[in-house]
Amino acid sequence: MLENFSFRTITEYLPLFGYGFAATLWLSIVSFAGALAVGITLCAMNLQRSQALKVPAKIYIDVIRATPLLAQLYFLYFGLPRLGVVLPELFIGILALSLNSGAYVAEIIRAGILSISRGQVEAGIASGMTYFQRMRLVVLPQAFRVTIPPLLGQAIVLVKDSALLSLISVSELTRAGQLLASDRFMPAEGFITTAACYLALYYGLKTLAASSERWLRLRPTGNLK
Amino acid sequence: MIKFRGVNKWFGALHVLKDITLNVEPREVVVVCGPSGSGKSTLIRCINGLETIKNGDLVVDGQRLGDRATNMTELRTEVGFVFQSFNLYPHKTALENVILAPIHVRKIPKAEAEIAGREMLAKVGLADKFNSYPAELSGGQQQRVAIARCLCMRPKIMLFDEPTSALDPEMISEVLDVMVGVAEEGMTMMVVTHEMGFARKVARRVVFMDAGAIVETGPPEEFFSNPKTDRSRAFLSKILRH
Ligand SMILES: Nc1ncnc2c1ncn2[C@@H]1O[C@H](COP(=O)(O)OP(=O)(O)OP(=O)(O)O)[C@@H](O)[C@H]1O
Ligand SMILES: [Mg+2]
Repeated sequence: MLENFSFRTITEYLPLFGYGFAATLWLSIVSFAGALAVGITLCAMNLQRSQALKVPAKIYIDVIRATPLLAQLYFLYFGLPRLGVVLPELFIGILALSLNSGAYVAEIIRAGILSISRGQVEAGIASGMTYFQRMRLVVLPQAFRVTIPPLLGQAIVLVKDSALLSLISVSELTRAGQLLASDRFMPAEGFITTAACYLALYYGLKTLAASSERWLRLRPTGNLK
Repeated sequence: MIKFRGVNKWFGALHVLKDITLNVEPREVVVVCGPSGSGKSTLIRCINGLETIKNGDLVVDGQRLGDRATNMTELRTEVGFVFQSFNLYPHKTALENVILAPIHVRKIPKAEAEIAGREMLAKVGLADKFNSYPAELSGGQQQRVAIARCLCMRPKIMLFDEPTSALDPEMISEVLDVMVGVAEEGMTMMVVTHEMGFARKVARRVVFMDAGAIVETGPPEEFFSNPKTDRSRAFLSKILRH
C-alpha cells in the first residue's frame, strides 16, 4: 500500500499547501475576531432586561445552533445574490464563520458572566457603583478568566469548520487537498497532507490554551471561604 | 439616621418584613438578632436598597427610599455594607480592593486613595498584606479587608450582616475588635450578629426579630439577662447552650 504513496507529489504540491495553511490560519483569525464581536454584541443584548433586545438575540442564537453551518454558508453564497447582494467568496466565507461562531461565543461569554457570584455584584452595588462600573471593574475581568479556555475550544472548532469554505471555492487547506486529489487522482496524499496541517494548527491552539491556563492559575481568582 | 415606619416586604407569598418600625439615631449601634429566616438580613439589605420594600416609609440619611429624588448610587456611597461571605474582589489585591470604589465612585485621585487605603489597612492590622490577593488571606483577614473597604468610602452608616459567622472561632475576635474600634469612633451601625460580647460592649440596643417582625427591643444587659417574651427566651436559651 505504502509503495503507491507518493511523497514526491506531496513535495511538489507543498507550496500550494503552504498557501492553504496560511489562508486557513488568517481567515480563521479574522473570522474569530468577527465571532468575538458578534458574540459580545449578542451577549450584551441577551443580558438586558428589555425584551426588545433580548428576544432577537435569543432567536438568532437558537437559529444558528439549530441549523447546519453548511446550510448557513449556502444561504449566504446562493441566497444573497438572489436578494441582490453580491459579495466575494472569501468575504462570504468569513462572514458565515463569524456569524455562526458568534452565537456559540455569545453563550460562552454569557456562561462566564453568570458564573460570577451574586455576592460580587452586590459588593459593587453596595459600594455605589453603577451598572457599567460593576461590569467593567468587577464582573468582566473575572468572567474573562473563566471564558478563555472554552473560547480557545471554540477557536479550534472554527478552524475545522473553515474547511467548509472549500465548497464555495475559497482556496484554503481542504481546497488544496481537493486539488491534489482531483488533478493527480491522489486523494490519500491530498487529504493526509491536509489533515497533517490541521493537526499542526490544532496543536498550536492547544499549546496556547495550556499556557493561558497556566497563566490563569498563577493569578489567584477564587475566594477561599 | 435610619427610620423604618410601617415597612412591609414580601418574597412572593412569604411576608418577610411585617410592619417594621425602628429608629436608629446618629452614632447609635444597634444589634439585630433572631432565629434563622426571621428576616434580619432582609431588614438591613433594604437600607441600602439591595432589597426593595413593598410599603411603608424607609428614610436613610434624610432621603426616602423609593422617591424619585433619591439617587440610590449616591446614597450607597454613604452606607457601607459588610457581608457574611466577605465578597472581596478575588482578582484584586487587598489594597486594590479598598481603593476601587474611592477612585471610581468617589473620584478620589489614585495616589491619594492609595495613601488612605494603606492607612486604613494598617488600621485593621493588615499593614503587611497590601499586595496579597483574597485567596492568600485567612477568613478573618479577608473580613478585615472588607471592613477597610467600606471605611475607605468614609460612610455615615455601616451595616454588618453576620460578619463573623463564616469564620473559624479563633478569627472571630480579631474582626470583632475592629468593629468595636469603628463603633467607638462614633459610626452609626446596624449589626446582625449573635455575638453577645460585642452587643454588650458597644450596642445601645438589641433588636430581636422573629418571623419577620420586631418582637422585642432593649438595652443589651436587659435583653440578655431578662428577656421579656417567650420567643426571645427560647431563642436565647438556644444560643446560650453552645
Ligand atoms: N431572594 C429571596 N427570594 C425568596 N425568599 C427569600 C429571599 N431571600 C430570603 N428569602 C426568605 O426570606 C426569609 C427571611 O430571610 P433572611 O435572609 O432575611 O433571614 P435571616 O434572618 O437573615 O436568616 P439567617 O439567620 O439564616 O441569615 C427566609 O424565609 C428566606 O428563605
Ligand atoms: Mg441572614
